[in-house]
Amino acid sequence: MRRSITTRLVAMFALGALITFSLIGAALYGVLERELTRHQDDDLNTNLQNMRYSIERFGDLDHWPRMRTKMDTISPSDGSVRFWVLSDDPRFQYGKGLDEMERVNQGEAGHGMLTMPISGHTYRTLSMRIGAFADRPPVRLIVGVDTAPFEHTLRAFLVALTLLTLGAVALVMVLGWWIARIGLGPLQRLSAEARALRPKTLSQRLQVEHLPVELEDLTVAFNGALGRLEDAYQQLEGFNADVAHELRTPLANMIGGTQVALSRPRTAAEFEETLQSNLEELERLRSIVNDMLFLARADQGEAATGLTAADVAHEIEMTIEFFEPLLDETGTTVAIEGELRAQATMNIALFRRALSNLLQNAIEHSGAGARLVVTITQRAGAIWIAVANPGATIAAPHLPRLFDRFYRVDSSRHDPGAVHGHGLGLAIVKAVASMHGGATLATSDNGVTTIAFSLATL
Amino acid sequence: MKLLIVEDEPKTAEYLQKGLIEQGCAVDVAHNGIDGQHLALVHDYDVIVLDAMLPGIDGFTLLRALRAVKQTPVIMLTARDSIEDRVRGLHDGADDYLVKPFSFLELLARLHALQRRGRAQEPTQLKIANLQIDLIARKAWRGSERIDLSAKEFALLAVLARRQGEILSKTAIAELVWDMNFDSNTNVVEVAIKRLRAKVDNAFTPKLLHTIRGMGYVMEARDQASIDEGSAA
Repeated sequence: MRRSITTRLVAMFALGALITFSLIGAALYGVLERELTRHQDDDLNTNLQNMRYSIERFGDLDHWPRMRTKMDTISPSDGSVRFWVLSDDPRFQYGKGLDEMERVNQGEAGHGMLTMPISGHTYRTLSMRIGAFADRPPVRLIVGVDTAPFEHTLRAFLVALTLLTLGAVALVMVLGWWIARIGLGPLQRLSAEARALRPKTLSQRLQVEHLPVELEDLTVAFNGALGRLEDAYQQLEGFNADVAHELRTPLANMIGGTQVALSRPRTAAEFEETLQSNLEELERLRSIVNDMLFLARADQGEAATGLTAADVAHEIEMTIEFFEPLLDETGTTVAIEGELRAQATMNIALFRRALSNLLQNAIEHSGAGARLVVTITQRAGAIWIAVANPGATIAAPHLPRLFDRFYRVDSSRHDPGAVHGHGLGLAIVKAVASMHGGATLATSDNGVTTIAFSLATL
Repeated sequence: MKLLIVEDEPKTAEYLQKGLIEQGCAVDVAHNGIDGQHLALVHDYDVIVLDAMLPGIDGFTLLRALRAVKQTPVIMLTARDSIEDRVRGLHDGADDYLVKPFSFLELLARLHALQRRGRAQEPTQLKIANLQIDLIARKAWRGSERIDLSAKEFALLAVLARRQGEILSKTAIAELVWDMNFDSNTNVVEVAIKRLRAKVDNAFTPKLLHTIRGMGYVMEARDQASIDEGSAA
């Protein structure tokens, strides 16, 4: 299930508020309970001392009715404070429900709790022994305070506390939702901005300046992705146009040539000539289609298969041997340098294809009698094969784009070398490198251009 | 050579049939997998050219059914240039495969190669008109004159001479002589042929090494009356 940040925040706020208020409530409840108990105890104590003073000083039966009257008088009519006097001598007893008292009173001095079995009232009690005086035997004085109001107060407090806590949690949830909405505002604005992006407005970027720092990383990353997307999109658009252009020329040649051939009676030799010309164009188309399919497969992340361990220098020599007629013809020499003993796991046909494209490129772009250098370099995780040729220095902005399909350094010029290639040679080198987990690199300065590709080593 | 073509695309089937009959083959054509399987099982062909995508029974199924009964050599034609298809085709017992669009020349070359496979012994001596080639000693003569060739030049000459009368594309030559198995987009083969021609043909008659425009090269002794394209290129 997808979770909304707002919901999560509100839930977390609510949980936090619930915990906080519950703790505070529990503490308040504890304080109140303790204070009320203390208050009751004070009450009990005052009454007890008061009565004790009277009882201690009077020991004869004549005075006892006065004591009873006094206790009747100071006992509130609502029964919130009660007095009991227990004694072995029934004449010196006092209090309602004495039978029960006999049963339940544990006979100890000090605080206790007492529940009247009949009325069900619960009293907090304080009792003490009062020694014998004159006719009176030792008695036991018990003062009880009804706990009902106390419990009622506590209960009312608890209910109020619970309701307040729930209310507060609800308020925090509402506030939390509002805070989350405001807090996430920049995100919504960002979404709105992102929604407005269209292929037509790919060069637009999300505004970073007014964003909170937390969103900056995300936005910068998103803008970076947009940039790469824009490049790819533009490359694709340009690429489609390039493909159409590459296909249009041979198609136009064939259509035109065939129309001319058919427009009047021709000899068999003339038709043969037309067919031969068409065949040349068709071969060009076939070659473009095949290379495009190859590149498409590499683009889909297809890895090279049929890998074998091979001696890199040997494979380079074999490829150079293939070029020997052309090298002889142009007086070009090729030297192999670097780590001649290097071994690599490769698809040999693909390796030769990539290298032959590089050699072809180097021969085309250097004058007659040039010296080409193929360098093998072993680095961490990769073996690099670089082909260097003397030739016009290529400006830096063009270098990484040399490997793009149909890329031409001089876009206005149709490469006369297109007789043999169709602008896919270096793209194929890149594809072969990526199929081997490698990369490509082009450098050019001081009249030497070096184009390199690598194979990953395990 | 007796061939069966199993191909549902009518234009492809038609030009293959025409071209192969003109090459002196006896050709049967089936336009779907069911007819193809029937013909393949009933008759004995030298080679079967089998399209992978067919109505009725597909090429791979047909191939398995055929292999259960006999070992007729099969060349698969596939439009999908994917590794899986190739592996599947060869795994199921195809002897070779071609990816569409393929060139007719390449198909011819593969057919000849399959036919040669059964042949017992390669010749050690070749003779075309007054060109003599000793494949063991790796020497060549035009008439009585010894021709001085580099190792690769000799290999090129031998490849062409072994297949005399057969048109070889530049790609096929690159593969056979230099083991370069790809469209190389380079004029290396043209240059190599030019240099070979300078040594083998230019100073002698008849001309033997001919350029077939748009297709490739062929080595053969032609009628003197025919136009010698070789000298023109």
